[in-house]
Amino acid sequence: MAIIKSGYVLSFVAFILFAVVMWVYGEYSKRGRVPYVKRLPAFDAMEEAVGRAVEMGRPVVMVPGRGSFTDLFVAQTVAGLTVLNYVAGLCARYGVKLWAPMADHLVIPVARENVRDAYAAEGKLDELDVEETLPYVSGSQFAWASSVIGYYARERPAANIMVGAFWAESMMLAESAGRIGALQIGGTARLYQLPFFAAVCDYTLLGEEIFAASAYMTQDPIVITSLATTDVFRLVGWVIIIVGAILSTVGINVVYQFLSI
Amino acid sequence: MSEILKRPIPLLITFVVGMLMVLEYFFTVPALTATYDTVNTWRVILYACVYLGTINLLLLHGRRVMRRDPGQWYYSAWLIVMIAAYAVLGLVWGVDSMNYRWMIDNVDVPLGATMYASLAFYMASGAYRVMKVRNLGTGLLLLSAFLVIIGNTPLFPATWEGFATIRNTIFDTFVVGSYRAIRFGVGLGGIALGIRTLVGLETGYMGRRE
Repeated sequence: MAIIKSGYVLSFVAFILFAVVMWVYGEYSKRGRVPYVKRLPAFDAMEEAVGRAVEMGRPVVMVPGRGSFTDLFVAQTVAGLTVLNYVAGLCARYGVKLWAPMADHLVIPVARENVRDAYAAEGKLDELDVEETLPYVSGSQFAWASSVIGYYARERPAANIMVGAFWAESMMLAESAGRIGALQIGGTARLYQLPFFAAVCDYTLLGEEIFAASAYMTQDPIVITSLATTDVFRLVGWVIIIVGAILSTVGINVVYQFLSI
Repeated sequence: MSEILKRPIPLLITFVVGMLMVLEYFFTVPALTATYDTVNTWRVILYACVYLGTINLLLLHGRRVMRRDPGQWYYSAWLIVMIAAYAVLGLVWGVDSMNYRWMIDNVDVPLGATMYASLAFYMASGAYRVMKVRNLGTGLLLLSAFLVIIGNTPLFPATWEGFATIRNTIFDTFVVGSYRAIRFGVGLGGIALGIRTLVGLETGYMGRRE
């Protein structure tokens, strides 16, 4: 009996190779050869967004999505929380009110510790009211959305940052915050919501860019190497796609069979 | 809370459980599958966190009622009343009872449907603001949006089938091609983040205490 599930052999090999390439890049980075990371204007604009809130005397809204830790979108939730930590740190530093509506009860304790750490790192823990800053709004999609829209209308935040997993509410939030003139930064890896953010937000993080949050914000060489690894595999993917397309066109399905191993 | 409880132990749990999930995904070892199934049932414990949300709601809105926050306190009071009503109905008659279902069918469902229906207006409003020809890119966006709307409207394809063909061509080539490219990148980015999380390199979501 085969130990590896049928059809998963290549995936497993690719996974191991991915980890190996990441490790090799990590070793290189320890010797000072850190890969170049391109500028991501959306991340750069976060400080500008908080600065705008300082000038206007209005709050910053940071929405880490509606994903959980037990669903398929956990990676996006993790990315959203990483950005939340960064934005909370900026808000603590500049004395701006932060509001981060919670939609999933599993995320609440992690998000609270995350924000507490950010405020503690800035020496402003006494200024944090965690119940008011990270309120549990609702687990129901549209009840949550209507509450966030209501907050936009009442408090008129200067900036609205949305990074994480979003569903149909994405357009409602982006459009409502756009109408009150908030500077908007949106990012998601949910493909059907991405066009809404791209259309309405001032800055957009497209798909995988949200996963670069940690590397970009910390500039940690080891973490940056994982981005270089994705580029290597992207190159391999291009080659496989081009070769596969040409061979399939002439009736040779060897690449298809190879990918089905 | 001690530092060990805040950082090393969560990282260790993440590594052990994460590796179990990864191995079970690839391998067909019965012991592994059995362990995976057992660990998966432990997730139920996490659902106790729902009380955190309820307590937070009661604290926050109770505070607003006590303070008589202008323009808000009566909404907060109503929310507390509804939480109590749902809790009493669910606990006394059960969540499958007619009374509880009546509340869901006549309060939750219509409100959710109303919000969902309003999405069309948000999209129309957003499209109106965005669809302005400023350069070649926005011009092409406007043109393709116009062709897709025409192709989606029953009247036009009924008049000339070419409208539907153009719409389908836009979807089957440009849209599918770009979606696949983004999906490919999302997959790679997700794997990188997953490995970083497994080995404890990705700690931003837990706070930055180093």
